Amino acid sequence: MSASTSDIVLRGHVGIGPSVRGVVLAASDDFSARYDLDRDRGVVSRRAHKLYGESYVGKILVLNAAKGGVASAWMLRDMVLAGKAPLALLLNNANPVMAQGAAFADLPFIDRFDVDVTQALRSGDTVFVDPALGLVRIEARGD
Amino acid sequence: MKLDALEKAMLDGAHGEAARWGLEYQQRVGAFFDAEDFVPVRLIHISTDRETMGDSGVSFIRELGDLPPESRRPRAFAAADFRGFDDETFRFLLPGRDLATQSAEAAEALGRLGVSTAHAYINDHSVTAPVFGEACGYSGTPSVIYMNGLVGARCNFEAGPSSLAAFFTGRVPRYGFHLSENRRATHAYQLAFTPESVVEWGAVGAIIGRRLNSYWSVPAIDCSSATPPVLSLNHMALNLASYGSIAMFHVIGVTPEAPDWDAAFGGKAPSPELITREAVETFLESWGGAGEKLDVVALSTPQLSMTELIEIADLLDGRHVHPDTTLLAYAPLEIKEAAERIGVKQRIEKAGGRIVHGHDFFATYAKEIREHHNWDRLMTHSVKVANICAGYGYRPRPASIEQCVKSAIAGKVLP
Repeated sequence: MSASTSDIVLRGHVGIGPSVRGVVLAASDDFSARYDLDRDRGVVSRRAHKLYGESYVGKILVLNAAKGGVASAWMLRDMVLAGKAPLALLLNNANPVMAQGAAFADLPFIDRFDVDVTQALRSGDTVFVDPALGLVRIEARGD
Repeated sequence: MKLDALEKAMLDGAHGEAARWGLEYQQRVGAFFDAEDFVPVRLIHISTDRETMGDSGVSFIRELGDLPPESRRPRAFAAADFRGFDDETFRFLLPGRDLATQSAEAAEALGRLGVSTAHAYINDHSVTAPVFGEACGYSGTPSVIYMNGLVGARCNFEAGPSSLAAFFTGRVPRYGFHLSENRRATHAYQLAFTPESVVEWGAVGAIIGRRLNSYWSVPAIDCSSATPPVLSLNHMALNLASYGSIAMFHVIGVTPEAPDWDAAFGGKAPSPELITREAVETFLESWGGAGEKLDVVALSTPQLSMTELIEIADLLDGRHVHPDTTLLAYAPLEIKEAAERIGVKQRIEKAGGRIVHGHDFFATYAKEIREHHNWDRLMTHSVKVANICAGYGYRPRPASIEQCVKSAIAGKVLP
């Protein structure tokens, strides 16, 4: 990892769930648990998705907007209980389904950042996510 | 969020554990979206396809059912659509999975809570019907955009657990499309042509949905033709939701909050962006596949009407589905039975097709079905099915019902 970047803080709307620290998996694509994921294997399964084939399990998953239907609201909790969930989810824009799913799963979730979060964070970054304050602190940049 | 006396009592547990859980959960979601308070609701739609709920979802509902009755009293009427599925067809599609038992478990758990389980498609308003301006708590995205746009009722996406919470509290957080200012149009579109089939209407919804890509955007669309049929509007609407997470739309001169452009925008409307026939053709062609071997045709989402089943039967008359292709036509149980009474079901089955009732194709383990049959290329008249099944490893091709059925007979994707 490169030099410390602990002074960089991204500010979003107050979120949902507990604070966590982890490694980022980021892309500018959108997100739906039903449309994009192989939830059994814990990998992105949509061929056209920039993270196709990547494992999101235990990662701070950073994507653009919530899309699709109601499925994610049940699925996020199911994924958490099965140990096949991201550690946290950061989006530029949520929809109600994703917020309802995160609240049901108690999955850390923040959106509405003061920057494009998919550009501000890169895969491999280590970040601290604090939903109660709506903050993400970059602790180390990935390679 | 501001709470009234009843809501405070619910939160304190005075009205039972289910209401306490529901209100606490709804408060978390409401605070996320800066809701100031709650709005009472009378009607709830709970989305309950078995794959989406997962084992953990069913367990959660059972735990609520295990509470003493006085701790889980409903405060609204709730219906869950798509109860059950077509066991006979599913044994062919995925013999290794006992969906019959799984589905019965879910229906039993919901029934114990007092949720009405129905075979109908909720947004056809045969089960519940809000009126203009009424707040409601609907779950399925096609149902929500239908109620907001076409009926003028007020609703956000209230996904599975969220609608369940509303069932026990009789209210939902007041944000998003419960507020008049958020229902006004934000973007204007003009169709430069009249779509000829529901797949083209679906493509219009997909194109606009992709461009906007935000729950908070509200397109207003001038369809430049006589009032479109409700099925056409339904395909357009559910693809706005599928491709853009959009929950509210206007059709100028058609939907109740858009008698004209300025009313839709609550002021002077901007110049509309054109949606051309070429854009729709480009969208449909982008899925490729012409001339390739066709494994499965899934005609669903929304489930088919009787007129669509008759169209399929007519197209199949005197012909037979190719032996290497499976043709599945999904319809509500009531429609399937009605089709049998007039011989339409028999005509489709004689030609090698299947009418399937219950949960839609994409909602019944479509990924496992693909893996079991080693399927690859799928055709559908539903642009939404194409969107979802692309994530399940299929290579979909949306096309008209006529093109889908003729391709099923040929065993390959016809241009």
